[in-house]
Amino acid sequence: MEINTDNKAKSQPGRSGISRRTFIKLSGLAGAAVATTYAFRKRIFAAPAYPKEPANPEPPKAEGVITEKFVPTSCLNCGTRCATVVRIANGRAVKITGNPLSQVAEGENCARAHVGLQVLYDPGRLTTPLKRTNPAKGRGVDPGWTPISWEQALGEVSDRLKSLRSSGQPHQLAVFQGLNVVSDEDLIHRFTSAYGTPNVISEAGFDNEADKSGEWLADGHYTQSAYDLPRTNYILAFGASILESYKPLARSLRMWGKIRRERPNRAKVVVIDPRYSVTALRSDKWVPINPGTEGALAMSIAGVIISENLYDASFVENWTEGFAEYKTLALSAEYSPEAAAAVTGISADTIRQLAREFAQTKPAIAWRGRGATSWPNGSYTSYAIFCLNALVGSIDVPGGVIYQEEPGYQPMPIVVEDDAARSGKAKPVLDLRQTEQFPAAEVVSNQAADSILENKPYQVEMAVGFNSNFNMSAPGAGRWDQALAKVPYYVHVAPFPSEMAQFANVILPAATFMEEWGYDHSPPGSGFAEVRIKQPTVEPLSGTRSVADIVFELAKRQEGTLAQSFAGIGNDAKGFVKYRTGNLAPWEEFQVQGVWVGPAYKYYKYERIFQTPSKKFEFRSGNLEALFAKAGKSTSGTVILPHYEAASFLGDADTYPLTLLPYQPLPQVENSSQNYPWAQEMFLVMHGQGWNNYAEMNRHTARELGISDGDEVWVESPFNKIKAKARVFEGLHPGVVAIATGQGHYAYGEWQTGIGVNPNEIIGVDYDRLSGQAACFNTRVKVYRA
Amino acid sequence: MAKWGMVIDLGKCTGCQSCSFACKAENDVPHGSPEEQQQRRAPFWHKVFAVSQGEYPTQRINLIPMPCMHCEDAPCVVVCPAKATYHREDGIVIQNFRRCIGCRYCIVACPYGVRNFNFKDQAVEPYHRPDLPPERTDKGIWPYPERVRGVVEKCTFCFHRIDQAIRDGKKVGTDVVPACAEACPAHAISFGDLEDPASEVSQLLASRGSFRLREELNTEPRVYYLD
Repeated sequence: MEINTDNKAKSQPGRSGISRRTFIKLSGLAGAAVATTYAFRKRIFAAPAYPKEPANPEPPKAEGVITEKFVPTSCLNCGTRCATVVRIANGRAVKITGNPLSQVAEGENCARAHVGLQVLYDPGRLTTPLKRTNPAKGRGVDPGWTPISWEQALGEVSDRLKSLRSSGQPHQLAVFQGLNVVSDEDLIHRFTSAYGTPNVISEAGFDNEADKSGEWLADGHYTQSAYDLPRTNYILAFGASILESYKPLARSLRMWGKIRRERPNRAKVVVIDPRYSVTALRSDKWVPINPGTEGALAMSIAGVIISENLYDASFVENWTEGFAEYKTLALSAEYSPEAAAAVTGISADTIRQLAREFAQTKPAIAWRGRGATSWPNGSYTSYAIFCLNALVGSIDVPGGVIYQEEPGYQPMPIVVEDDAARSGKAKPVLDLRQTEQFPAAEVVSNQAADSILENKPYQVEMAVGFNSNFNMSAPGAGRWDQALAKVPYYVHVAPFPSEMAQFANVILPAATFMEEWGYDHSPPGSGFAEVRIKQPTVEPLSGTRSVADIVFELAKRQEGTLAQSFAGIGNDAKGFVKYRTGNLAPWEEFQVQGVWVGPAYKYYKYERIFQTPSKKFEFRSGNLEALFAKAGKSTSGTVILPHYEAASFLGDADTYPLTLLPYQPLPQVENSSQNYPWAQEMFLVMHGQGWNNYAEMNRHTARELGISDGDEVWVESPFNKIKAKARVFEGLHPGVVAIATGQGHYAYGEWQTGIGVNPNEIIGVDYDRLSGQAACFNTRVKVYRA
Repeated sequence: MAKWGMVIDLGKCTGCQSCSFACKAENDVPHGSPEEQQQRRAPFWHKVFAVSQGEYPTQRINLIPMPCMHCEDAPCVVVCPAKATYHREDGIVIQNFRRCIGCRYCIVACPYGVRNFNFKDQAVEPYHRPDLPPERTDKGIWPYPERVRGVVEKCTFCFHRIDQAIRDGKKVGTDVVPACAEACPAHAISFGDLEDPASEVSQLLASRGSFRLREELNTEPRVYYLD
């Protein structure tokens, strides 16, 4: 029998002079036999009848709140980085709510923000630096971790960095970035710049690089598009799950309520996606499309709009370039609604209807997402969809595409470089960005693994990963195991020992975003700029240090130009935040309010927003033409126009008849762990299920394959196979198998190990050939019962 | 006396489940596990349910956030042999853990499946919440800083917030709302006095057609849905 005998419990007498707990204790002792028999309800059974119970028991003083405070900070469970307020009671974080001063999402958060508590109090977190004792590296190989002191860990890492640099090979350092605070990213870039390596590999190449390049082709902004959501009247979403994964997510959620019910004229939303996403479910119309054919649809819609003279002639005439060629192409037989119907599986009538609605309901947005653009032809698809916005004049107008303003942080002094740094940075980049292979790319995250394995263009001697977990999040995940095993010295910096950490020689335990200093802002969306503070809501877990402090310390230990580069910018994490935001808001005020909001957005800036050779919106990409001309490539035909190319698939259609469609459900936390019970138990809202993910397929598909709901099935691609539970689901194109990402962890954590499967294990490696975006959706699979 | 009610606008709901996450945090509702999910024992005071109709490609799935309906004619109250569940004057259906004998009649009687039986051991660490504010424990029965195994628990419309707001002279429905309504990023959940025609909930109900779940059972739920 378990009796609470702590002093707190004793110190709460009721009116009768005997506390409830004491009473239970006494009666429990007297009736020990009874209590054992009924141990299941021991306390209840032993309780007195309720009339004896004091009606209003005295407050158990020791258990009430002694201290309470509210700390404004911001979230980092996805790239949106919402402003939050954390309630701290008795030194413990107990509740997270939105910061009402934030304007991006009007003070709201998404569900992931609440999970911050479980990120902070994750029992699997690291509390001391670890050193590897087993030289063998591989999946399932025990690294033989042995705890070491911070002094030893930083000393070893620092010595390695020093010797690599003094040998004149600083470029052989690779830095991997997962989801990091913006201020930490700034520091990491500063470090690599002063150190002399061009190899900063972020995870952006798994996400939406082709979205970005599509906009760059048209208007010169290599960025995700921002949409003026609250003022729009019509949204045509191509493979964009606005309510699940598209960032800034909380803004989309808030504005969804606004455009659907808080205005007299309700915005119409049409979702084009092979999967009935939550967005599709909440939209007015779901149009299932053959995977990878969004480009044909976009061009066909353009053709209908042009042929029926529904386009915005004044904008097209004054502010665009190359319309004649675009028009000829869009009106060609290849893109007639009938031809497009055969490609996309959407009827010609529907295509015409969508085109007319889109052109006639102003302002309208053509919204592209990675479902449409993470394909080998992704940049062109992205370009084709983006051009629809210009066609109907939705460029820099209320309710159209807008141009995100960056917060003007206090500029940092120029990085102090020596010859080693300069020559190192002049070396070609590991991921082959801006080479012939990926001419327009800013980062080709997945290529780095192959480059490491093939020593191309040179060998990687050392790597540092900041919150990265590429051997979970990269398509062809297994290659990263091999690549990391090959790197002679790998340092992992993260709060928990993730899959990638298993390959480390040293792990440095980082503080979580709930415990560190930083500044942050959202990806494009709001138009106006906004900065949020990150400040420790509670004392950092003993034994951990923030990423910023680690980078500062490493730079200081490198001495010379590195130490000089990190002098005068605040000296530590907190000082750095104060320094960088000093020109935006007074420091005291910024700490109390937690956000700084920039001036209101101004529309119609046509004179200065187009960063193209013609200084106009280009239906014929001058930027790409220049790039190709430089590389000596032909620019004839359609290569510099938005167009559709049939996607190449990995795996032949006869052996592998289905297309694999990975998707991100909202509760997938993006910090590369999923060891969070709330997020796990509410993982798949569409299925009312958690703690798992499924091989989801249409009922017709399942029937043909002889599979029923709940069967164990193999999902096999030409590269690998995984065993998952089948889920028969009406909301899927019959040609696809959908699997949610975020599960399949195996490295640590009671609440995630052995749960579900990781679709990235079976996805093949392919890229959008302009932006280097990993193609995530063109792997064919077969499914059969296990 | 106010009669508290909730209006959930499904036309605004984004299915993000912020309501359910916030409820877990606010009320310290224990999280489940894969086993508990399989046995349908995972405790939720608020859960978003998916209701599917029809077939591809014209299927219709709806996501319905479900707190306790706080029925005016609540079957759970009628069947409780210990008077552990009862109506407050303001209409909130309350569960008194101290009186509950764990017979689970109410769980059987509830047509909405929003009641949970606490199968877990009260000694489990995460249940212990020394941080709960005194206002929650000084008046009334909610909540135990430690949880009690073997009793039924359910959504309270966050009455601790309501009571505190009334003591502080704040307006319930505008200044203070339950945790789920507060957390909803789409502002799909409204809370307030159903008997006050000027309240947001009354205004919303007057503006559009609404429905309640399983209306044919005449339980008169105080949670309304707008399409």
